[in-house]
Amino acid sequence: MTLLLVAPDWVLKLMHEQRPNNVFWSEYIIWPAIQIVVVLFIVLTLIAYLVYLERKVSAFIQARLGPMRVGPWGLLQPLADGIKLLLKEDIIPIKADRAVFMIAPIVSVVAALVVLAVIPWGAAWATIANVNIGLLFILAVSSVGVLGLVLAGWSSNSKYSLLGALRSSAQMVSYEIGMGLSIIGALMFARTLSMSGIVDAQKADGMWYVFLQPLGFLVYLVSALGETNRAPFDLPEAESELVAGYHTEYSGFRWALFFMAEYSGMIVTSAVAVTVFLGGWMLPGVTGTSLFGLGPISSPTLHTFASIIVFAAKIFVLIYAYMWFRWTWPRYRYDQLMELGWKWMIPAGLANIVLTGVWYVLALPKSQGGLLELMRGGPGARLVPTGKGIIYFIVTGSVVTIPIVWGLLATINRRSRDFNLHEQRQLQMQLRRERLEKMLQQPAAAQPAEGGQ
Amino acid sequence: MTAAKTPAKRTIGHLIRRLLLVDLFKGLMVTFKYNARAMYEPREGGNPNQAIYTEQYPLEPARVSERFRGAPRLNLDPENGTTLCIACDLCALACPVDCIEVGSIRREVREGEKVNKKKVLTTFIYDTSRCMFCNLCVEACPTDCLELTQSFELAVYHRAGFRWDREMLEKGINYVRYKK
Repeated sequence: MTLLLVAPDWVLKLMHEQRPNNVFWSEYIIWPAIQIVVVLFIVLTLIAYLVYLERKVSAFIQARLGPMRVGPWGLLQPLADGIKLLLKEDIIPIKADRAVFMIAPIVSVVAALVVLAVIPWGAAWATIANVNIGLLFILAVSSVGVLGLVLAGWSSNSKYSLLGALRSSAQMVSYEIGMGLSIIGALMFARTLSMSGIVDAQKADGMWYVFLQPLGFLVYLVSALGETNRAPFDLPEAESELVAGYHTEYSGFRWALFFMAEYSGMIVTSAVAVTVFLGGWMLPGVTGTSLFGLGPISSPTLHTFASIIVFAAKIFVLIYAYMWFRWTWPRYRYDQLMELGWKWMIPAGLANIVLTGVWYVLALPKSQGGLLELMRGGPGARLVPTGKGIIYFIVTGSVVTIPIVWGLLATINRRSRDFNLHEQRQLQMQLRRERLEKMLQQPAAAQPAEGGQ
Repeated sequence: MTAAKTPAKRTIGHLIRRLLLVDLFKGLMVTFKYNARAMYEPREGGNPNQAIYTEQYPLEPARVSERFRGAPRLNLDPENGTTLCIACDLCALACPVDCIEVGSIRREVREGEKVNKKKVLTTFIYDTSRCMFCNLCVEACPTDCLELTQSFELAVYHRAGFRWDREMLEKGINYVRYKK
């Protein structure tokens, strides 16, 4: 396991430690603590302002203004909301399971916030823990969040909460599979699970993996929407059916914790999408030595800050897309949601893995010695070629893979009830027509003497 | 026979539209256009042609319809500033709820060289709590003196404030004006 040691020099100087060996306090205690405080502060503020952004986006889409009264353009609204939620009474229903009821939001928000540790916010020192199982860690810990929702729904002792929790657990469990499968194609190119390693691999290939893995990216986006319970898959909190879903009985700050977990989940899923598919903090123009060709950057600090801004901008684009989808598309019905998860996303993810593997093996040059040599290569060995090879992977990934998978799934799922509704209706109408004709003919045949009737 | 609403045969075009989710992306374009327009268009509340319809009412004047009938007003002669009312009492007679009281005296008025005995307006009471803004008094007025304006802010703190006297009717009320 290679752990990247990244504490800047001033921390070492502060602790009177030297770089080669004697770095325990500065590398493992002081610098991570500083990073954790900074990341938590920024992310929690960001979450508050994402709520503001969501309200503004929804308002603009619906020809309204959104929050305007607290501060200029309502910019202090998140602060006012936070104070309100802190001061509100914390109501616990009499028949609720007290201990579980109190623990559930904490489970949810901790699972959502712990994941922030392995996200590569920028180059060099901007990651809290650069572990080599980063992506697995994210997938594993973020699925603990489901437990919080289930506990909340069960302990509330309310039918709406229970129904919401049932829906959300079923939904999140089924969409997690599609999410995990969609990433694997990109991991074949990256050949590492470390989040920074994936970004470095994309840098080495000179290509964002969204171009090599467009289908994987699409499946990931849809699954991430389902995983974070966002519209159009927000069935666990469908207002018109379930009041508020699993957090119906919660109020005050415990409710705010669930809200924080939801928005933190949004940030994390878009951060993973940016890292795996959109080149992380890479941007053409922002390199270690120059910033948009404005000349060489002398300090690596400036480069790191630039990389953080690039990463944040990419996350912001994805989050805006989340909000855009939410306020445009209507909610799916429950069976449609399950169908999309199990009949489209998971098979598409599987097919993507198989096809990517096929293209990968076909592309192996003879000098590499075929498949066996590839497996002996080890984590450092890079297989994606440059030039022609990249064009080959782009063509196979988008022009060949997507139509094959799409056609295959459309053919298979044609038999399902919803996809075939049109023909069913036609059949129904034809049957009714025949029945009516028979009814009209029978009396005429039975009593021909009366005539007319 | 029941008429088929949907076409009996679905074309290949329908299938492709369905598979490529064309309608979903059309919807996205509509909402994105609204969002983009809301960012740069100047905002005037209540304009249906703009991306944002909201009018921030106390901070900006609210729009009412051209034919809206609100607070009453007694118009003055623009040339010499005297009232146009001739105290003919027609408005009070026209009023279905009897909310208008016109007070007048007969007195000699000098007009040029002649001295005429005329009815002159003294008091004019208009009870806005009973008024239903039917506009019959305005239609009855022979001199275009009484008028229902577009102002709709008629709330008062006290019940007596609903009885508008002649001064209020001629000058209007001073409202508190908020700024954006």
